[in-house]
Amino acid sequence: MTNPLDGVGAEERFRSVFSYLGAVAAYARRRGNKDPDALAADVMTIAWRRLADVPVDDPRPWLFATARNLVHADARRARPAVAAPEPAATAVDPVELDPQLDAALRSLSRADREALLLVAWEDLTPSQAARSLGINPTAFRVRLLRARRRLRAKLDDASTGRRCEPKTNLDMETT
Amino acid sequence: MSTESMMERLRRANPVTDAPAGDHGDLFTRIIALPGDHRLAESPPSRRTRPRRRIVAVAIVVGVAALLASTAFAISQLIGGDVVPPPVTQQEYLDAQKQLVLPPGASWPKLIIPEPNSVTNRGGGGGHAVITAMTAWECYWADAIRKGDEAAGQRAHDALDSLLAKHVYEAPVGASENWAPSPMPPTPFLVFAHDGGLQWKRAAYEQAAAGHPGNLIQSCRVNR
Repeated sequence: MTNPLDGVGAEERFRSVFSYLGAVAAYARRRGNKDPDALAADVMTIAWRRLADVPVDDPRPWLFATARNLVHADARRARPAVAAPEPAATAVDPVELDPQLDAALRSLSRADREALLLVAWEDLTPSQAARSLGINPTAFRVRLLRARRRLRAKLDDASTGRRCEPKTNLDMETT
Repeated sequence: MSTESMMERLRRANPVTDAPAGDHGDLFTRIIALPGDHRLAESPPSRRTRPRRRIVAVAIVVGVAALLASTAFAISQLIGGDVVPPPVTQQEYLDAQKQLVLPPGASWPKLIIPEPNSVTNRGGGGGHAVITAMTAWECYWADAIRKGDEAAGQRAHDALDSLLAKHVYEAPVGASENWAPSPMPPTPFLVFAHDGGLQWKRAAYEQAAAGHPGNLIQSCRVNR
């Protein structure tokens, strides 16, 4: 799967991977990274250095997984050793969402949230999202199903006046 | 609310609906000027003439990792004792820490050798310490530039120049990836292949000192 372009040449092969630069920057921006363009450039640098690992037929899951690791590392570095209590929408999340949806998303676990966002925002299929998270497609489908139910329940609670308890910021999972 | 309508609501809330477009030819050129993946042997000839930064680093367990202990012993006998088991590499790493200085606030990461039955080139622990120190100083310098702290930047530049002068070697043209200076230096050392990588580092430092830290920052982010 990783090397259908044998003989084409590394540069040409990388060109097709590099065409996803914008998608990677968008991913980083959606996940609240402060410098998504620099992060996307780093992801591409890593992809160049590990080109044999990047599936040429479908590089997005690999690229998003790498971006996720870098976003998470950036967030960890930005976090003080002893974190003061912060309002939910700080630190790693400059994106602005509908407040009700925002609160509901934040109340989910990072794993649930990432499963939902990979499908809804990154437009990955469940199989692609599973590859990006390093889990098998069946496990991903189960996770996605549960995440959708939980998000719907949170939104229903919010619309009926019950309060969502934020669990974490919109930072990344470390699968 | 149905689950489908909830997912539709989530899709509509996407804060970045389009991937940003733009001409990134310059970035592409800069990236492919870096050393590529050595596992892809089918690079076209023109690529071979480009400067490549490939740290040979005796620190890397090249090709001989994951050998069984008995095999490691046999191999070490076979090639003259130039490979050592993990405890020796760990000790080299610890010894090197006494001879190298990290920037303020940095600490030595633990050297993890996942395969207990692996072997590493002699000097690999020291080489790992040198590249760790280089990266730490690069990041310290990048941070100093961001904060406008010229004194800290100068200190980092001096430290990196010192590392390059005292602890870094460049392998001769055509040397194998296992090349090491002979006799073995008494101080920890790191070997760069003769492929332009060392020149790339030097140029990055010169550019950063001249107010163009792009490559320095990239090196920090990618290697730390």
